[in-house]
Amino acid sequence: MTVQSADRPSMIEFQDVHKYYGDYHALRGITASIRAGEFFSLLGPSGCGKTTLLRTIAGFEGISSGAVMIDGKHMEHVPANQRPTNMVFQSYAIFPHLSVEQNVGFGLRRDPRSEADKAKAVAEALEMVGLKGYGARAAHALSGGQRQRVALARALILKPKVLLLDEPLSALDKKMREQMQVELIKLQRQVGITFVLVTHDQEEALVMSDRIAVMFEGEIAQLADPETLYRRPNSRRVADFIGVMNFLPATILGEANGQIQVEAAGLGRVEIETNQAPGAISEGEASVGFRPETLTILYEGQTASDRETAGTIDEVVYYGDMTYYDVRLDGVDKPVRISMRNVFGRPVLDIGTRTRVAWSAGALVLFR
Amino acid sequence: MKLPGLRLYALVYLLFLYAPIFLLPIFAFNDGTIIAFPLKGFTTSWFGQMFGNDTLARAVRNSMIIAVSSAVLATTLGIFAARAGSRFSFPGKGGIMGLIMLPLVLPEIIVAVSLLVVLLGMGMTLSVFTVILGHVLICTPYAIAILNTAFSSLDRSLEEAAVDLGETKWSTFRLITLPLVMPGIISSLLISFTISLDEFIIAFFLAGNEPTLPTYIFSQLRFPKQIPMIMALGTCLVLLSIVLLTIAEYFRRRGIARSGGKDTGGFL
Ligand SMILES: Nc1ncnc2c1ncn2[C@@H]1O[C@H](COP(=O)(O)OP(=O)(O)O)[C@@H](O)[C@H]1O
Ligand SMILES: [Mg+2]
Repeated sequence: MTVQSADRPSMIEFQDVHKYYGDYHALRGITASIRAGEFFSLLGPSGCGKTTLLRTIAGFEGISSGAVMIDGKHMEHVPANQRPTNMVFQSYAIFPHLSVEQNVGFGLRRDPRSEADKAKAVAEALEMVGLKGYGARAAHALSGGQRQRVALARALILKPKVLLLDEPLSALDKKMREQMQVELIKLQRQVGITFVLVTHDQEEALVMSDRIAVMFEGEIAQLADPETLYRRPNSRRVADFIGVMNFLPATILGEANGQIQVEAAGLGRVEIETNQAPGAISEGEASVGFRPETLTILYEGQTASDRETAGTIDEVVYYGDMTYYDVRLDGVDKPVRISMRNVFGRPVLDIGTRTRVAWSAGALVLFR
Repeated sequence: MKLPGLRLYALVYLLFLYAPIFLLPIFAFNDGTIIAFPLKGFTTSWFGQMFGNDTLARAVRNSMIIAVSSAVLATTLGIFAARAGSRFSFPGKGGIMGLIMLPLVLPEIIVAVSLLVVLLGMGMTLSVFTVILGHVLICTPYAIAILNTAFSSLDRSLEEAAVDLGETKWSTFRLITLPLVMPGIISSLLISFTISLDEFIIAFFLAGNEPTLPTYIFSQLRFPKQIPMIMALGTCLVLLSIVLLTIAEYFRRRGIARSGGKDTGGFL
């Protein structure tokens, strides 16, 4: 999340991109800009059109209307093999009949450099992805993680302007996935190339990206940096998709001085900043949302710094470092989830305990 | 295999299947014109007679020309059809594929007779070439069936990856697609070759005066004196089949090893 990234020129521009598969409207007016050198993620549930959008950048998928520009150039008549992009496929698409170094050097076939120079480039690319000395191996004998590194080296050796990654980590086990996430971020910083990652894993997107476009049904629902997406999702749907969010029914009473007056179930009357209320609502029924970690259970003798509400513990889920409590706030039927970091010497509370919950209006988000 | 009955059944089954084939070499080397036990003594004269027979040599040459041409043509057509069938969807695809596969289930005698009528109607003289036409017709469905499997088990993103790395459609086909479907192509060539080599009905109708191996063998069966020589010929053909199958199996296994798949058992 670099500060200066906002000043960077745009590398990819989508201008009202529509895509139909027969009658099926797969992309419904995508307008967005991906900046040079950023780690950009397309995040959304399966079938929302992430891969389709990524493939319109690579040139594998034509578009029905609109425009895709890469580095200021119109891509309409530029075929896939001439675009300044390279792709890491979901299946990795390692050529099984070639060795590791033949795979990595595949894109250099048309390169005018000498064979010795190319071999050097291949060795460097292999070293960059941590596969030094694997060059002579048969590609089909590699593990999943190694295949992925080969796919990365094969794409990066051509020094593309944009690297496209379609769910590159989804085939790996959890441990390997977390390790590769870190490696990918490092790699991106090292080469400085624009990365566009497709993923359905919100945690992965939050960890890795400078900015994220959340997609539903062929549309971008919100495009923002991870922190904004997490703290100020612009709809209940985005909020639900990213992390856990509690919702309480609320009535809007009025607006004054950049603050919206709300009567929220269980919490009472609160003022919410208008910038915490996406989708301009003036009056009527709404809901108030908050993340589990923004509420704190108060122990004996503790007092709230801002506001507090009484409730009863309904369910306790112990995670070792964390405990999740489902708390029924007085006057609300549906329990809310609260996460508490476990501290040495502080007991985990039992189901049925009467408790007080501390919160502050700054952490609330108002939804239509 | 706990039931002794099943074991017996398997034994009898194999015996029934292969005993006649074991008889071929036995009588091919038997010094007597009558195909019956007891054996008379060892001789290689039937093989000598076989190699000295001009008509047989001609039949072998014709059959080789026909089988090789049919295999190459049917496989080439099969590559185009399988590639199109596994990659593109176009209107009437199902119907077209159905029509191409039809000769697989059509009685061969009907194919042969209708071809004969059409070819004669067109004023063509019957020759080795007309047999090739007929054999391509019956071999192509087998070629397509084999190649379809090869093409559709090919991960589509492999071709896209090659294009992504700068290759054109044609160089991608040459560098990626072709090597990966090569085991399928070799299977298709061998199967088509084998089908064409022992095909009788179409060859009988469409060859005119030219002998092929099956039609020659059939014509010689009327002469009891020739039968030991046919046994010798049969022995050679069995050997040839074993060699071909071994080659096919070798390539199939190599193909699996190369692409890193699991061996799920071939025809050997
Ligand atoms: N070649 C195609 N033909 C028809 N429909 C397609 C094709 N490719 C994708 N789709 C449809 O478009 C939608 C979006 O697909 P995709 O971009 O692969 O989703 P995602 O990657 O977000 O899971 C899906 O409903 C899918 O069924
Ligand atoms: Mg996808």
